[in-house]
Amino acid sequence: MSYPVKMVLVEPSVIIRSGLLSVLRQLNTFQMDVLEVSEVKQLKTSLHWKKPDVLIINPAALMVFSLQQIKKEIGNPQLKCVALQSSLVDANGLKAYDEVISLYDTTEQINEKLCRLIIDPEEEKHQETLTLREKEIIVCVIKGMTNKEIADKLHLSSHTVVSHRRNIANKLKIHSTAGLTIYAIVNKLVVI
Amino acid sequence: MSTFRFRNYGEQDAMSDLISEHYPALFVLSRFQIALGFGDKSISEVCRENNIDTPTFLAIINLMVKHQPVILPAETTISLSSLMDYLHRSHDYFLLYRLPEIRKKLVNVLNENQEDLNKAVLGYFDKFATEVKKHMLSENNKVFPYVKALLQKENCEKYVFGFKKQHERIETSLTEFKNILIKYYPAQNTNEINSVLFDIFSCERDLASHNAVEDYLFLPAIEALEKQSAS
Repeated sequence: MSYPVKMVLVEPSVIIRSGLLSVLRQLNTFQMDVLEVSEVKQLKTSLHWKKPDVLIINPAALMVFSLQQIKKEIGNPQLKCVALQSSLVDANGLKAYDEVISLYDTTEQINEKLCRLIIDPEEEKHQETLTLREKEIIVCVIKGMTNKEIADKLHLSSHTVVSHRRNIANKLKIHSTAGLTIYAIVNKLVVI
Repeated sequence: MSTFRFRNYGEQDAMSDLISEHYPALFVLSRFQIALGFGDKSISEVCRENNIDTPTFLAIINLMVKHQPVILPAETTISLSSLMDYLHRSHDYFLLYRLPEIRKKLVNVLNENQEDLNKAVLGYFDKFATEVKKHMLSENNKVFPYVKALLQKENCEKYVFGFKKQHERIETSLTEFKNILIKYYPAQNTNEINSVLFDIFSCERDLASHNAVEDYLFLPAIEALEKQSAS
């Protein structure tokens, strides 16, 4: 998941909503960007606006919508849905959610639940320095070579080059050639 | 202590309260060419004196303050011509003032004897600025004339809007530039690099807010007008 994690919080009660917001602010495990929604009729617009990674919603506020519909609407089947349970709810109704936060959860419990949902252990591992191969590829990219040319030069398949480039972008959070050029010069990968 | 306002701004609120509670509103004022010095006048009085459509002004302000989509009451009418004047001036501001100003500061902060790096940094920024320019000029030269023709009820070919995607690309590109400067630029003069960074942070917000006005006020208003003229 990319940071800040985008969240939409749907809860009609201003007191509960603000309460959860202030708990979220205290968590400093990851960066997040939260949009509050008080009325369900704003839900649709807000989903398009934010394209959230996580939806925290009072199951009672969902009413006629289904989580399936919402995921389809924003075109993100990976959307994590968290129920914010403030009253008695049929346990079956909660099965569709990835996680349930109860009104009486402690800060630590909420933190733990969200971390489990958001932080991918695989992704964590990837936050390492570039491999030698990746550095070679950066040098080729900033020389303006195409994936095909890079593949030929380094005796790789085009597919492998693409996957290396994706890893580079994820590690450095740089997606443009112009950005990679700056990175390469600062880190002395090239002398132009 | 900071002041918060949870409700939307309305016609009767004092213009000076708006500014002191939310200083980025100054950008909106200058794009509507409203001069300071309005004393205790209300928002609607100031708008009237400057021949500005008050609901349009308020819609922009509330969108900016809330930083999330505002559901306009059904009876709200946005004046498309007011909105286009606003957007046009906003484009001028970015292209003629804001971006050149950032570039000037950027040149000042570059280290001597690092020609390659400097060239790459300016190269990135120039590429970004060119993209913004291309996008904004295409709105000035294609989108606005199309909407004006619609307003005049002239027959015109349906225009296909692709600016939402472009907005995202532009915003991501500036954010990436900012992150690269923060992480990798070995600046020697911290005061000067800070000043550039503050400008970029604020430009980033301002650009996002400008884009939001187009995505969430301008586009829906055009679509409503298209429906109306089709019927």
